Amino acid sequence: MTETGGGAEASGATAVSLENVRKTYQLGEPVHALDGVSLEVPRGSYTAIMGPSGSGKSTLMNLVGCLDTPTEGAVVVDGADVATLSDRERTTLRGTTVGFVFQTFNLMPRLNAVENVALPQLFQGVGRDERRERARELLERVGLGDRIDHVPNELSGGQRQRVALARALVNDPALVLADEPSGNLDTETEAEVLDLFGEFHDAGTTLVVVTHERHVAERAERIVHLLDGKIERIEELGSAGDPGEPAEPADGGREDR
Amino acid sequence: MNPLESLRLSWRSIRGHKLRSALTTLGIVIGIAAVIAFVTLGASLQAGIIGDISPDDQRNVYGWAADPDTEGGPLAGAQPVVSGDDLETIEGLEDVEAAYGYAPIQSQAVSSGDEQIAQGDGVIATGPSYVREDTLREGRQFEPGEREAVLNPAAAGQFEENVSVGDEITITILGGQQTTAEVVGITDSNEGLSPFEGFESSPRIYVPTDPYYVEQAGAVELGDEGPGGSEGVGNGDGEDAAEADDADQAAQAQADGGDARFIAVIVEAHSADEDDVDAARQAAIDYLESDDSDASEFLGDDLAMTFQTSAELLQQLEDVLELLQNFIVGIAAISLLVGSIGIANIMLVSVTERTREIGIMKAVGAQNRDVLGLFLSEAVILGVIGAILGTALGLVAGYLGAWYIDLPLVYPLEYVALAIAVGVLVGILSGLYPAWRAARTDPIDALRYE
Ligand SMILES: Nc1ncnc2c1ncn2[C@@H]1O[C@H](COP(=O)(O)OP(=O)(O)OP(=O)(O)O)[C@@H](O)[C@H]1O
Ligand SMILES: [Mg+2]
Repeated sequence: MTETGGGAEASGATAVSLENVRKTYQLGEPVHALDGVSLEVPRGSYTAIMGPSGSGKSTLMNLVGCLDTPTEGAVVVDGADVATLSDRERTTLRGTTVGFVFQTFNLMPRLNAVENVALPQLFQGVGRDERRERARELLERVGLGDRIDHVPNELSGGQRQRVALARALVNDPALVLADEPSGNLDTETEAEVLDLFGEFHDAGTTLVVVTHERHVAERAERIVHLLDGKIERIEELGSAGDPGEPAEPADGGREDR
Repeated sequence: MNPLESLRLSWRSIRGHKLRSALTTLGIVIGIAAVIAFVTLGASLQAGIIGDISPDDQRNVYGWAADPDTEGGPLAGAQPVVSGDDLETIEGLEDVEAAYGYAPIQSQAVSSGDEQIAQGDGVIATGPSYVREDTLREGRQFEPGEREAVLNPAAAGQFEENVSVGDEITITILGGQQTTAEVVGITDSNEGLSPFEGFESSPRIYVPTDPYYVEQAGAVELGDEGPGGSEGVGNGDGEDAAEADDADQAAQAQADGGDARFIAVIVEAHSADEDDVDAARQAAIDYLESDDSDASEFLGDDLAMTFQTSAELLQQLEDVLELLQNFIVGIAAISLLVGSIGIANIMLVSVTERTREIGIMKAVGAQNRDVLGLFLSEAVILGVIGAILGTALGLVAGYLGAWYIDLPLVYPLEYVALAIAVGVLVGILSGLYPAWRAARTDPIDALRYE
C-alpha cells in the first residue's frame, strides 16, 4: 500500500501492482497519459481513483484491465506481467480474472440485456441455459429484472450502465474495474449499485473504481488521486463502506477539474 | 467457443442485415443455380438420347461413304456409292442378318382420300426390317417390291380421318409425279427409329426402297435436288456439297446401269453382341472395298466407307454436348467467383462496421479464434444459404427445362452435394481474409473506434 517500489512484496497478497508505468502517445509531440505511476493494489482491497478529466484514469484502468500495454514499466495482474503475456493469455485473464465496467458501457448493440450480460460466459464455454440463468439473476440484482429483453438502444443511460456492471460481474472475477460506474445514476440507484460493490467487496473481490464523486470514492478503503498522469497522493480512509471524515476538507463534495 | 454458438450469433448478425445478406447471397444463388440447371439438363439430355437406342437398334451398323477426313455427324459428306446389288450381296454374307439402303424420298404432299397434306420430308425409303416388328402397333412390315407403307402415329393422325391399316395413301414426290401406297402398318412411336432420321418426334412414312427410291433415282426429272438432301438425313457439314454431287452421280448411276445407289446403308448383325456387330461391320466393309462390289469403283483415297453403331454415332453428339455443357458450367463458375468476391466484400465492410463490437467481445474474453470463427461462420452461412437456394432454383430450372424439351428428368444428385460443398468452400475462402482481419483487431483500438 505504498506509493513506490512495492514490486518485491509478496505477490500472493497483491492483486495488481504497477511499477513506474508510463503510457505515452506519440501525436506530433508526445502525450504522457501516464507518467511514472507505481501502485500496489492488495487482494480484496477497495480502491477509488479520482482526478480531473484527462488525468489518465481511464488509461490506467485499461492497463490494469489487460486491454493495453504500458510504454514503459511493468503492470502485474494476478502475479503475471501483462506485457510478457501472449495475446491469448491476456485475453484469458480479461475473460476470467478481470471484470471491466467501461466509462462508455460498450454494450453489444444488437444483443439484448441478458445476452449482453451473458456474453463473457459465452467465450468461457458456459452452456446456454446456465448463462441465461446467471445473467438474469445479476440483472435482477442491479434492478433490471424487467428489462432483460431490451436492447441497449431501448435502455436509459443508467440502465445501460447497470447492464455493463452486471456483465462485468458475470464471471465472478477476482478483480473488478469500474470506470465511473455511477456517473449516470440517480442517488437511489447509485446507492444500490454501490451497495452491490460493497457486497462483492465483502465476498473478497478486489475493486478499483474511478469516480468524480467524493461520496462514491468514500465507500472505498483508499483514494488514489491522479493529476497529469502522476499519482498526486494516496488518501487512506478508515474502512470500506464507512464514509468517515473527509481527510481533505478542501476537497469535499464533487471533484471537478 | 462452441461452433453452434458461433453459428447462432452469426445468424443473428446476418438477420440484422436482411437485404444486404440477401443481395450478397444472390451471386452464389445464380452461380450454383446455373451449374445445377445445366448439369441437370445435360444429364437428362444424355439419358434421353441413350434411352432412344433400343436394344434392337444396337445390332445395327449405319454406313455411308465419305471423305475420311470429313468431320461431323452421321452422313456428313456422304456420297451415293452402294448399289442395290451390293446390298443383296452383303445380306448374303455369313455374318450379316440383313442389309438395306436408307434414303429419304423428296416428297411434296401426302393425301388420303380427298384430303391432301403438305409433307416435304419424313418419307423414308428403306428395308423392311428397319421398322422392327415389335415397334408396330398395328399391321405388319412392308414387303420389298410392293407399293406398301408403314406410318408412324403422327403421320397417320395428321388427316382429318385417321389413316389406318388397309387404307391407300398417295405420295406426291418432288417432281410432281404421284405414287400410291397401301398402308400395312402403324408404329407405336413418333420418334425417329435411327440416328439417320434424328430422334425428334415428327410424322414419318416408311416405304420400301424398291420401288419408291429406285423410281425416284431413275426419274429423269429429278430437278436440282438430289435424293439425299432432306433435313431428315444429315446433320453434318458438307451436306450442301453432297447434294450437288448427288444429282450428278445418281444420274450417272442411272446412265451406267440403272441401278440405284444409296448414300446410306444399314447392316444388321445377328445380335447386339459386340463381336457379332464387329463381324458384320467388317464383312460389309471387306466386301464393299473388294473389286467385286459396285461401290469399289468409287471408293478409294478420297472416299471410304464408315460403319458405326448408334451408340458410336451418339457418342460424337454427346462429346459436343459435353463440351457445350463444360463451357456453360465454366461461365457459371465465373459467376460463382463473382459471388464469392461479393461475400468477401460484404464481410470486409461488416468487419469494419463492427470494429467496436469486435473490441467489446475481445475485451470480455473472446479469443482470436472465437472472432475468426464468428466471421467465418457468417461467410459460410451466406455461402451455404446461397448454395441451398441456388440448388433448389437450379433443380426447378432443370425440371422446367427438361419438361419443356420433353426429356426424361435425371437429377445428378452428386452435383447437389457438390454444390453445397462449393457453397461452404466459397464461404470459407471469401470469409477467410475478412475474418482474419477481424480476429487480429486490437481490442483497445477497436473500443476507441467510432
Ligand atoms: N489513444 C489516445 N491517443 C492519444 N492520446 C490519448 C489517447 N487516449 C488517451 N489520450 C490522452 O491521454 C490523456 C489521459 O486520458 P484518459 O482517457 O486516461 O483520461 P481520464 O482521466 O479517463 O479522463 P476522463 O475523466 O475525462 O474520462 C488525455 O490527455 C488524452 O488526451
Ligand atoms: Mg476516463
